[in-house]
Amino acid sequence: MAARSFPALAVANRILLWAVFLTLAVVCIYPMIWLFLNAFKTTNDMFAATWGLPKVWHWENFSTAWNYGISRYLLNSLIVTTSTVLIELTLATMAAYALVVMDFRAKAAIYTLILGGAILPPEVSLIPLFRVMAETGLYNTYFALILPNVAFGLPFTTFLIRAYMTGIPGELREAALMDGAGEARIFREVYLPLCRPILASAGLISAMRVWNEFIFALTFVESETVKTVTIGVMSFAVALRADWGVLMAGLALSILPILATFLVMQRQFVGGLTSGAVK
Amino acid sequence: MPDRSDHTQATWRQSLQGWLWVAPALLFLVVFVYGPALTNIRFSMFSFSAMSLDWDFVGFDNYLRLWNDPKFTTALANNAIYAAISVTCQVGIALVLAAVLEARVFPDFSANLFRTALFLPSILPVVVVGLVWQLLLTPTTGLIDQILWETGLASWSKAWLGEPDTAIFAVIFVSQWQWTGYIMALFMVAIRAVPRDLYEAMEIDGASGVQQFWHITVPGVRETILIVTIITILGSLKVFDIVWVMTAGGPNHSSEVLGTMMYRAAFRDDMVGYSSTIATVIFFIALTIGLVQIKLQKDR
Repeated sequence: MAARSFPALAVANRILLWAVFLTLAVVCIYPMIWLFLNAFKTTNDMFAATWGLPKVWHWENFSTAWNYGISRYLLNSLIVTTSTVLIELTLATMAAYALVVMDFRAKAAIYTLILGGAILPPEVSLIPLFRVMAETGLYNTYFALILPNVAFGLPFTTFLIRAYMTGIPGELREAALMDGAGEARIFREVYLPLCRPILASAGLISAMRVWNEFIFALTFVESETVKTVTIGVMSFAVALRADWGVLMAGLALSILPILATFLVMQRQFVGGLTSGAVK
Repeated sequence: MPDRSDHTQATWRQSLQGWLWVAPALLFLVVFVYGPALTNIRFSMFSFSAMSLDWDFVGFDNYLRLWNDPKFTTALANNAIYAAISVTCQVGIALVLAAVLEARVFPDFSANLFRTALFLPSILPVVVVGLVWQLLLTPTTGLIDQILWETGLASWSKAWLGEPDTAIFAVIFVSQWQWTGYIMALFMVAIRAVPRDLYEAMEIDGASGVQQFWHITVPGVRETILIVTIITILGSLKVFDIVWVMTAGGPNHSSEVLGTMMYRAAFRDDMVGYSSTIATVIFFIALTIGLVQIKLQKDR
């Protein structure tokens, strides 16, 4: 594409802008590079030369971190994230479908109620939820994380999917109704396939949110066998105050899945994350 | 708000079908969001500890106590500072950055690279960001201190997270580091929706980039500016993770925010009723912000 540049923009300004953006890019990226490089060092190497490449690449930091518990935390995060996303997408898509194609009483009020959940931060429900979890025996199980994560994710996910569905022509459904298809079948065979792009974006956003979720994981589980990776690295950090290399290897491992997903699916990521706030 | 309001001709039978489809989602919200949020308000009228069976009804005593708690004043102020700085960086600066990237000052390839680089921090877990920056900010051995030493600014070196004057600002800085690029990406999408010929017309008239920014970009993305401002203020109100990880509200409660204060009261100090009171305050502030947003959006 031909660069549509400002003719009036002086060379000095251009250089200034390059300098600003290069600095910002380095400031944003370097901490991650620093993390990955230092994950290969011993604590002493790190104090001696925090900038440079490792003199000896201590790969064993990663295996130590892996065996220290990171593997289990990653597995737990994977279980919680996958379950949450599947349940959340199912419920949100059903609700969005009804809100878009069906006519029923109190529809506007119900939609407002679903969206309104987005305003409330988890803090306001935390204490009663904690008691519910304790009384129902859900405390310290995967469900203690999955259920609230679904609930707090539903408003935004429903909003995204509903917005997308309003763009699907209603004639498709009417034609199918004429042919005698029921709502469940139209939902499954017409709407779901058409919604695939938004389901991918919404699923990705939701997965990232749940993978990074902190306050429920901090409050509703305590044993090593259930802890997700965000809380796992916290206990890790406390236990490994003196062994920075292994700690950083652990931190690096904990973000590797998201980084990899991001680099592979950058378009869906940015597209999905930005589709909500911009109409 | 949605088109066909509650004045529907739907029969009860039709309605029943619609309700069945929304029921699971609604149930989740009622059981895990609204129900507990309302229960929480009731809790705030009692004084009790997590495992105790005796609940003392204290009415509004918890609120009175909160009002007189100096930590509450600090927390409220910190949330406000958090919001002010975040709005400046994440709305103001992010918008300018987005406008520059969208103005094709850089070749497309570099512009994409810059966007990716600035966006990257926002996909990371807050905990990892907090821990990494804690290491970076460690006095003497941390990267920041080493930079200061090597550039001859050693006198600036300090325990950023360990001193009451700087702790909350260090945390806020990290938060800006993480989120400014994300908001910038939001603005870039919004700017792309502004008709190109508006810019071209102004350019022909000889308007500078700055003039184009004020006269086309800013009015063109007004809606997004509003939404982003609300998101940012709400985010600053509910902030918890980054503060809890980096300072846990310390040293000496100087970096306390409502979220950490509430969490500590419930799960460290075992003052559950008092903690619910703080959560209720958060609830009403969030509700107010939400209502303001609805009002502002209706007005246009």
